[in-house]
Amino acid sequence: MSIDYDPTLQALFRQAEQEFDRDAFERRVMARIDRQRRKTMVFWSAMGVVFLATLSLIAAPLASAVGIATQFLPTALVEIETGWLQQLLSPVNSVAAAIAIGALAIRAFYRRIFR
Amino acid sequence: MRYSPDFLAKSPESALVGLARTGNRNAFAELIGRRQTWIRNLMRRCAGDAESADDLAQQVFLQAWRTIHQLQDVDRFAPWLKRLAINTWLQQRRKNDPLRGADEHEESDTAHSEAPGVAMDLDRALGTLPDDARLCIVLGYHEGMTHGEIADFTGMPLGTVKSHIRRGTRKLRETLAAYAAPIEAGT
Repeated sequence: MSIDYDPTLQALFRQAEQEFDRDAFERRVMARIDRQRRKTMVFWSAMGVVFLATLSLIAAPLASAVGIATQFLPTALVEIETGWLQQLLSPVNSVAAAIAIGALAIRAFYRRIFR
Repeated sequence: MRYSPDFLAKSPESALVGLARTGNRNAFAELIGRRQTWIRNLMRRCAGDAESADDLAQQVFLQAWRTIHQLQDVDRFAPWLKRLAINTWLQQRRKNDPLRGADEHEESDTAHSEAPGVAMDLDRALGTLPDDARLCIVLGYHEGMTHGEIADFTGMPLGTVKSHIRRGTRKLRETLAAYAAPIEAGT
């Protein structure tokens, strides 16, 4: 212990130390832990139910949206008659490519300005 | 896996901490049993009254159970628990009264039905100190920490810690003067 402490007060602090009933306290804490665990389980069960209900509600519109997107995304932006040129430009000549390039450009722009 | 109470009672603390980290309730209950006297006494010196001290001590162990998986070194359970305890007390102070600690406190009139006279008077005297000074005094006298350790623990500058302890000691000596003579005569 540091030498700067008052020995009388040190003795008083030692005298003030109490012994407590170990079992009752232990039971109370464990009961609180169990209560909290039950609450957490109820919360996550409720969240699971809400998630499944939401999923069942949006499943049909989501599937049709995915179907439309898969039809729409490969659509060519520019009609190219020449076979080999059409093959060459096909990775960038689509709605999906335009969206991807646009997203990359926005990201690069954002990084240049804010970082 | 279930371990017998006898086995857990004989196990070293680091082994119990390791088991508690895997979610073993019985190991954690044994840890509570071993450390409850220390934490409850510490909370009584900090909080001042038995009821809130015990509630705080329960919160400390509850928080320990929730976060024990974050404890990296199983041999550092005691200092980790002490930090949890002090943080729990400080958070409770801030929540109850944000202006408390700005000035010196009025003497606490909370009931200390179970506490012996010396503990009751000591807690009352501690209640008259501002929060920071009280924290430094409790860590110094109750926990036996050096000034440097208190500065590291609380993040206060060393000079501030020394000043809190000097002033706090002086004030406690004045308030508890009645106890000084018998103690000094006994030593």
